[in-house]
Amino acid sequence: MKADYLIIGNSAAGLSAAESIRLLDSHGSILVLTEENFKNYSKPLITYYLAGKVNLDQMYYRSPAFYAQKNIMLCTDTCIVGMNTEKKEVISAQGRKFSYNKLLIASGGIPVLPPIPVSGGGLLKDEMKKIEGIYTLTTLEDARRLKKYIEKNHIRKAVVLGAGLIGLKAAEACLELGLTIHLIELSDRILAATFDHKASKIMEARIEQKQGRIYTSNTIKQIKASQGTVEKLILADGKQIDTNLLIAAVGVRPHTAFIDAGTIETERGIIVDKHMQTTAEHVYAAGDVASSTDILKKRAENIAIWPLAVMQGRVAGMNMAGKRQEYGGGFFMNAVEIMGIPSISMGLSGPQESKDAEVLTQEDGSSSIYRKVVIEKNRIVGLIMLGHIERAGIYAGLIKNRIDIGNIKENIIREDFGLIQLPADYKKHLVVGEGIEV
Amino acid sequence: MKKIYIKEEYCIGCRLCEIYCQVKHSKSKKIIKAFKTELDMVPMVTVEEIGHHSFAVQCRHCPDAPCVDACISGAMSKNEKSGVVTCDDQKCVGCWSCIMVCPYGVIKRKLGEKKIASKCDLCQDELEPVCVKNCPNEALVLAEEEEKDES
Amino acid sequence: MALKPRQTDFEVVRDQDKCISCQVCLRQCSNDVHEYDSDQDIIYSDNSQCVGCHRCESLCPTGAMKIKQSESEFRQNFNWSPAHIKNIYKQADSGGVLLTGMGADRPYPIYWDHILFNAAQVTNPSIDPLREPMEIKTFIGNKSDVVGVDIDQGETFNMKLKQDISPQLVLSTPILFSAMSFGSISFNACASLARAARQFGTFYNTGEGGMHKDLEIYASNTIVQVASGRFGVDIDYLKRAAAIEIKIGQGAKPGIGGHLPAEKVTEEVSNARMIPQGTDAISPAPHHDIYSIEDLMQLIYALKEATDYQKPVGVKVSAVHNVAPIASGIVRAGADFVTIDGLRGGTGAAPQAIRDNIGIPIELALASVDTRLREEGIRHKASVIAAGSIRSSADIVKAIALGADAVYIGSAALLALGCNLCQKCYTGKCNWGIATQDPYLTKRLNPNIGTRRLENLLRGWSLEIKEMLGGAGINAIESLRGNREHLRGIGIGEKELAVLGIKHAGEAW
Ligand SMILES: Cc1cc2nc3c(=O)[nH]c(=O)nc-3n(C[C@H](O)[C@H](O)[C@H](O)COP(=O)(O)OP(=O)(O)OC[C@H]3O[C@@H](n4cnc5c(N)ncnc54)[C@H](O)[C@@H]3O)c2cc1C
Repeated sequence: MKADYLIIGNSAAGLSAAESIRLLDSHGSILVLTEENFKNYSKPLITYYLAGKVNLDQMYYRSPAFYAQKNIMLCTDTCIVGMNTEKKEVISAQGRKFSYNKLLIASGGIPVLPPIPVSGGGLLKDEMKKIEGIYTLTTLEDARRLKKYIEKNHIRKAVVLGAGLIGLKAAEACLELGLTIHLIELSDRILAATFDHKASKIMEARIEQKQGRIYTSNTIKQIKASQGTVEKLILADGKQIDTNLLIAAVGVRPHTAFIDAGTIETERGIIVDKHMQTTAEHVYAAGDVASSTDILKKRAENIAIWPLAVMQGRVAGMNMAGKRQEYGGGFFMNAVEIMGIPSISMGLSGPQESKDAEVLTQEDGSSSIYRKVVIEKNRIVGLIMLGHIERAGIYAGLIKNRIDIGNIKENIIREDFGLIQLPADYKKHLVVGEGIEV
Repeated sequence: MKKIYIKEEYCIGCRLCEIYCQVKHSKSKKIIKAFKTELDMVPMVTVEEIGHHSFAVQCRHCPDAPCVDACISGAMSKNEKSGVVTCDDQKCVGCWSCIMVCPYGVIKRKLGEKKIASKCDLCQDELEPVCVKNCPNEALVLAEEEEKDES
Repeated sequence: MALKPRQTDFEVVRDQDKCISCQVCLRQCSNDVHEYDSDQDIIYSDNSQCVGCHRCESLCPTGAMKIKQSESEFRQNFNWSPAHIKNIYKQADSGGVLLTGMGADRPYPIYWDHILFNAAQVTNPSIDPLREPMEIKTFIGNKSDVVGVDIDQGETFNMKLKQDISPQLVLSTPILFSAMSFGSISFNACASLARAARQFGTFYNTGEGGMHKDLEIYASNTIVQVASGRFGVDIDYLKRAAAIEIKIGQGAKPGIGGHLPAEKVTEEVSNARMIPQGTDAISPAPHHDIYSIEDLMQLIYALKEATDYQKPVGVKVSAVHNVAPIASGIVRAGADFVTIDGLRGGTGAAPQAIRDNIGIPIELALASVDTRLREEGIRHKASVIAAGSIRSSADIVKAIALGADAVYIGSAALLALGCNLCQKCYTGKCNWGIATQDPYLTKRLNPNIGTRRLENLLRGWSLEIKEMLGGAGINAIESLRGNREHLRGIGIGEKELAVLGIKHAGEAW
């Protein structure tokens, strides 16, 4: 099969690219490939599905008619296993060949499995398929299988390995299903990418209040199974936990197994330029599989979050359709609500290493309200908001636009901080729309 | 598309926009009843104020709306024809990604049972959004881009 | 602290069933009347601070509020009115002069309400202004003694005036906005007046506030004042203007000058007035260079000379007992127009004793001036502009029939902008954003709205004037001027009728 635009990946980045291509090119053929057996669904919603908060229909973030309306072809159950940039084609596990004029790799990430020995055999990654009760949670299929397993076996207790975004969301889903949970995290705090100790402590306290146990600076040393089902976990510090369910959520890595390594360079993710083009001609990459500019770390980073996947997808799509468009870069950010405490954190907001950093905090110990702004050279580089999260986006805007906040520093941490306190120019720009089309 | 333009120099900080917005999006739609019985109302327009400076902001219905990009459930969408960005209460799961990315800080959490984001819908069923209609000093104006400075 | 007798003038009546504690009232009150109690979720109001401006009542979204005259009453006494009693309390407290704003509110006779206008029946047809031409265009300035034309008898039949015509202001309607200075009123109020004047084809007057830089674009619709303090006057100011008015007096405070306290002399005000910021702006009671008609003539001609005889120069006086001979002197001194400001004329600040007791009503002053100028055969040498509480189009029609060329409106214009006549202009805390320089309050007057409302008023009044003229069978305002046969008095005595120069109702031609 041949398509003008071939897209590997039917998720945030892939579909956003397809949509923007269609806006610019109403005729070119667009073919989207996915190894999964669903039209489209929102990955971040799988934990909501697990918790029973959304049903299957609500998982689809684009209507069923979407593909027909936009004249986009979709091949499900099509796992790409290899490619040839010279011939401009990719090949599926079933041996089908697809050639392209422009190719977008938006294959996202695959879960990382830590090298934990399993009783009676090899490492987790090899044994996982053989024993029941061990799951990763990155696809809808994962969530469906897990849900079935919990229901069928009347599981009352779950262990989640990894207290990152996915781990926490998985833990919350389990708690909502009435399970007790044990959360094991190698780092000394949860959500280590953007949380500091204070924020972590507040959340930990809340989780513990609700039937959760948290083990930080810890990991699983060994997994014990009997009769093909997981039974006991032995932690690094020697503690033992009996459980029939382990959810491994220690992270995802870019899904690059099938790429043409000769022409497409990677550095953790696929390296792309400002136009989201890879080192191979006519080949673009976007989303969790790509490594693109991190404007705070000032280097290429693989930032696996939905908003950036959509944005990168759009930029890639535009360039593929011939409209030069630059991707301005991004930074890591996170919104999670755990057991009624909403949180938003972004940028370099963890415990500070940098000497130059100024840290402003505000807390209200009794009510789980915590706010922290990290400033470097008069630019905001990090934010944590717990409890009150309204207007977090204003900070995101300040970070993204590298706005000098030297003159408004004393206001930055105020509870009523808003547009009105912003530096005059930026405010005019935002409020009255001067210089932009609002 | 017609948008709400903010005339900062004429905002008198009365907050009638907030009040009428709450009534419009209340269950009863009756001002006294709504304020006396519906305690979970959140205005979708916010007056910001320091000293004598003030203005009311609500969703700007951005062309490339970051909230739509960030929405993980497909609840937030921009109507292709009208350009209006709305949040579908049925689809919203309350993940707050939109709040995280909105540079105007105009998306809020709706108070109540279900966690959902609350934002300006430009009062689609009215001739004019109620905040504009009820601003006593015309500090909010509904206009096309080209006519925003005329009056 | 010594006990003070109660002085509450108003009562804030709040219907708690309707009040939703939205606090709009609280946010809008510059007198700190309202206070929110978050424990009880109730708003309390301190009546003693209320000035009765009705801002809160106007903005209350549920109609929960009413401002009433305080019901607490003194023992009835026809001699000692509550006003007298309260004033004495205030002065016993402060030892100062009682200040007030706007025009005299004492119950002196208002002659407009004792004059009736005429209509045509049978013997002369009335005119429908919607179907037939109706001219209310008005010219302000000196009219030639005689007018002759040279007619080119050739094919073109061109006509040319033999005389040079003195400079004239051309008004699309016989209404101008009277002098209200930037300083006494806000920039936004000035801007509304200026823009409305421009759009409607009439003029506003700077008062003695000078011309704000941002209003220079409206200069061709601006009458500039030269007052005793000479604030803001320089050659550019004079040259920019459409006309110049020498201010001798003002109806609300004849015989006294003005005092803009230092704290109101903001940077902008100081720039417009050309005085240092933060200093008192004192207008002396007299012009120190004018002690006679001859001195006045010198100033008139100095201004004409400075502006190349290109624009009308007029003189404004308050209506005092001798106003007729004074007006005659002014016309003889070369003024192109005379403005007479009556007893009820407004002000931003005046001692109450003066505002309420000095001067005479505009109706009587206007009639006697017009009569005097006619008797002396100099009526055409200057236009007469009547001012001092013109409240309606009917007042205007009557004023013109009494002899005015046009009228100035001040209070009416401010009312159109939202004023509630609370008379607290002098406090600088005008809740309607009019008589204040407080940036928190001035923005309450959006000049776009102000302009629109003023234009609406002018349009409405102009239509009514046309209707009344048409009804009387008159198709041009020129034909009404001084046409006192169209007026009849009602409920007034012989002497008043004589001064007004009109017959009593029931008397035919
Ligand atoms: C449980 C969970 C919760 C999350 N919560 C949030 C959140 O709250 N906020 C947030 O910002 N982000 C969240 N994320 C991250 C977010 O889902 C990702 O950033 C986003 O999905 C990335 O989109 P993508 O298009 O790059 O890749 P993916 O969504 O990973 O999609 C990859 C697509 O490629 C297809 N594919 C992959 N390999 C092949 C192949 N070889 N052949 C064919 N098709 C292939 C897949 O079938 C899939 O359609 C969450 C992720 C998970 C798993």
